[in-house]
Amino acid sequence: MSFLNRISKDKAGTILFLTSLSVILITLGIIQTLLFETITFFTDIAEHRGWFSLDWDFGGILSASGFAFLILLVALLIDYESKKEKNRLSYIPQEILNPHHGIMKAIFIIVLLQLLLNDSFLLGISILFFAMIWRAAGKLQMKRIYGGNIEISNTWRNVLFLFIFITLFDAITMNYSGAFGEFFLQNQWTPTGACEDRRSLCDTMSFGVNSLLLTTLQVAFGALLIAVPLGVGCAIYLSEYAPPRLVAIVKPTLEILAGIPSVVYGFFAFIYIGPLVVEFGEYAFANGWIDDPPNILNPINGAIVVGVMILPLIASLSEDALRAVPNELREGSLALGATKIETTMKVMIQASLSGIVASIILALSRAVGETMAVTLAVGTVAVYTSNMFLPAQTMTAYIAQRVGGDLPFGEIGYLTIFAVGLYLFFITLCLNLLGNKVLSTYREAY
Amino acid sequence: MKDIDKLQKRNRKLRGLTELAGSMGLAITGLIGLLFLGILIWQIAEPTFIEGERGEITAASESIPESNYRFKWDFPTVDENGKLYSDPVVVRFQWNDENGFHSHDVQINVIDTRQVKTDIYIDSNGVDQTEIEVGRKTNFNAYSSIRVPVSVEQISGPVPNADKTGYPSVNSFVITGDVHILLDDENEQVFQPMELIAWITLLILVIVLTWPIVATLKIIQKLKGRRTLIKLASYVLAGITFVVSDGMFVAAALGGICWIVSGVILYRIAEGIERLESLGRELSEPSRLKHSISDRDGVLMWSRMLLFTSALFIPLLIDIPFLTERYQDIFIPYASGIRAAFYGTIWVMLIAMFVSIPISVGAAIYLDEYAKPNRTTKLIQALVTNLAGVPSIVFGMFGLAIFVKQDGFGWGLGPSVLAAGLTMGVMAMPIIVLAGQEALRSVPRTLRESAYGIGCTKWEVTKDHVLPSAMPGMMTGTILAMSRIMGEAAPLVVIGATAMILFDPEPLAALNGGNVNFTVIPIQIYFWTAEPDHAWHSMAAAASIALICLLIAMNSIAIVLRQHFRKRLKS
Repeated sequence: MSFLNRISKDKAGTILFLTSLSVILITLGIIQTLLFETITFFTDIAEHRGWFSLDWDFGGILSASGFAFLILLVALLIDYESKKEKNRLSYIPQEILNPHHGIMKAIFIIVLLQLLLNDSFLLGISILFFAMIWRAAGKLQMKRIYGGNIEISNTWRNVLFLFIFITLFDAITMNYSGAFGEFFLQNQWTPTGACEDRRSLCDTMSFGVNSLLLTTLQVAFGALLIAVPLGVGCAIYLSEYAPPRLVAIVKPTLEILAGIPSVVYGFFAFIYIGPLVVEFGEYAFANGWIDDPPNILNPINGAIVVGVMILPLIASLSEDALRAVPNELREGSLALGATKIETTMKVMIQASLSGIVASIILALSRAVGETMAVTLAVGTVAVYTSNMFLPAQTMTAYIAQRVGGDLPFGEIGYLTIFAVGLYLFFITLCLNLLGNKVLSTYREAY
Repeated sequence: MKDIDKLQKRNRKLRGLTELAGSMGLAITGLIGLLFLGILIWQIAEPTFIEGERGEITAASESIPESNYRFKWDFPTVDENGKLYSDPVVVRFQWNDENGFHSHDVQINVIDTRQVKTDIYIDSNGVDQTEIEVGRKTNFNAYSSIRVPVSVEQISGPVPNADKTGYPSVNSFVITGDVHILLDDENEQVFQPMELIAWITLLILVIVLTWPIVATLKIIQKLKGRRTLIKLASYVLAGITFVVSDGMFVAAALGGICWIVSGVILYRIAEGIERLESLGRELSEPSRLKHSISDRDGVLMWSRMLLFTSALFIPLLIDIPFLTERYQDIFIPYASGIRAAFYGTIWVMLIAMFVSIPISVGAAIYLDEYAKPNRTTKLIQALVTNLAGVPSIVFGMFGLAIFVKQDGFGWGLGPSVLAAGLTMGVMAMPIIVLAGQEALRSVPRTLRESAYGIGCTKWEVTKDHVLPSAMPGMMTGTILAMSRIMGEAAPLVVIGATAMILFDPEPLAALNGGNVNFTVIPIQIYFWTAEPDHAWHSMAAAASIALICLLIAMNSIAIVLRQHFRKRLKS
């Protein structure tokens, strides 16, 4: 009754509450439509092929994934040993645990680069993890020797356990089938197949979404590789070095640039960046670095143009984060005798790190969800290959390309776009939740 | 000791060097980022000057070097109904080999069916055909198996690179705008006298209001006591303007508004003068007059905006055929325009605004003013924040399932303007809510508390005190959201917008059963970019420039509004 009383008392409040309820309705509507069609999609395939099944093959231990498993196991051992008790790793010389900084950075860059070029994604990830654990163990030993407060967290160990299971699973299962196994674990995406009737399900159709996911990640991380140094550099320059008059001009320009539609960027990529990338690709092909001649539509092209697209976003969000740092920190650092560059690198960036990280995560989410530019730049052939000079297809591009042909309601092609869309929605939702959480921590800090 | 000094000195030197290198590196990175963005703007503007394809076959000097050669036959001459009417094209192949000089004519008939083609084969005996048929927009090849170069020359037939209407063919700026000032090219007047007088009156009054001079104020002083008459006269003049105008709706409406605003300005000035006189002040102090006119800043801003807007339509008659007259041409890229897309964009934006603004402003007010910090509020807040980051194509799929299809929860509107507008409205909603909340939060707490202190209810506080101060932020956010959805193509591709639309879109066609198809400018750019022909790319660049100009105009209105209100809040 109290609710009814409240309604009769405050009409304006109730009406406004109803308007804000529409937001819940929209979200529920989005999730409902995506989920509903996706369930239909999986049931359709499951009726044809079963839900999930595996073929075990222990010979797979000798494959790349098996090697990755071994590397991760060694990393786990190092982690365990280094945290167990004092001087446990003292028989390893210090030069190996803590080499020079320059070597360290070079190794990390090489490890990150091989992640892009490596055929086996899991192997790349495991090498990256190994490098990180090695570094952490080295730092822990340094702290033990020279003193300092030692905090041991076991987060890494949990992550390692998770990845050990994933790689082991990947190594010893050769075939996955059934609805879920095919969708999440296989690599071939041929949703039209070579059937006479394209509308209903047939055996030659294959729905391995990893083919689309790989291209999406290639484009998104490639874009970050371009946008993060330039964007963060731009932000630091604008907030620390640039004269105020320049900032007054550049800030509105950034706003306008962020508002340029993605289809225009796509046009730009199609006309200008594609031919440039092909020239590099021809050079690489002539030297035998890649196996196939390059195409004008390729993920590198998409990565460059998406990188340019998210550059204004990273620049303006990072600049806000840098400006939110209280001036006392900067002045205190300068008063202690630190130079301007030291203040910037060691105080300002440290203090605004969570804001910068949040901007990078939000930009990653934007890059994953980017559609028109990627459709025009990357192409429409879904292949699973690490050669980034060949045309490929991202998740969003698949939806845009497939739906352009006026799909009838309820046929298998119509259902696939919702399955892919739900996966995409889930990825971006996770990234956004993470980004907003990090953003709110830095807003609380100052 | 000396050694240590030396060491420190060298260290300092080294440190200074690394210092310099580091800061230079940072500055260079920043500048490269800025340069990148600058180049991008320039490059987006630049492709309009892409060299278009020639419509003719080839120049006579070009020769076929022993292998094959491809003909392009893209722009046959068509009449208004899209029917071909041209004469057949005759091409002459000539070469010199051991058998002597050869010269062969081939007649090429362009027919209406697509994908019909016949290739020409040249060997030592001559040409295998003397007459071939080729469908329009079809490529066909001439293959030669002889060892000497063959020259190709067009003997007769139309040269379709410049059609009969004289549209620009190649290498020219495709957005042609004809600007007429008062008179058009044939020295005929293109203005309506009433509107022109209204505009000039407004111009004079804006000048008077901006720089009040004693001499002009003396004239206005004579009008005192007849303020109602001024207002009445302005309404009557506006009415006359509207009745007298023949067919030029926009100019007449703007002229009418000009009359009314002029009346308002005159009324305010006369009121201000009376107020000064009742206080016993002299007119010789114009700075006092500025303060005695109520809301001078606001009137000045609106009248200046009106002045600029109507300047385009009343004294200058700007006429951009690319934007507002030409539809897409089926064959000739350079004769195409984006009229259908332009009107489609306007309708989609209007429907989206109509749907999203009331709901999202209401939601922003609820979340910031009314909601108690409980679980529901937190949930709504989290949903809004995350909805703003959902990829636009997911909204398109939502629109496809809910608005377009007729099954389950579907409304069955079809791929129509209405469905597109609703989808875009849903997409704009979280952005406007976030901007509105930001604006509401920036209203100082003291304002609310003092309003409560004199006994206002919650709704009165919100309506009369909080909303007016938060208005600029909300308007800015709304305009920015609208400019964002204006450039968005992905949801509309999903909904089913197509490119070939040769009529103005009907906004309510989905309800009364008309032709629901529509297109918007980004979709047009997308489909033109996907065309294989380079000439269409040039048109895509032109459409991009038109779109970017519209967006920059909207963004600058937002920036100007923000600056104005920020200044007012400060003072």
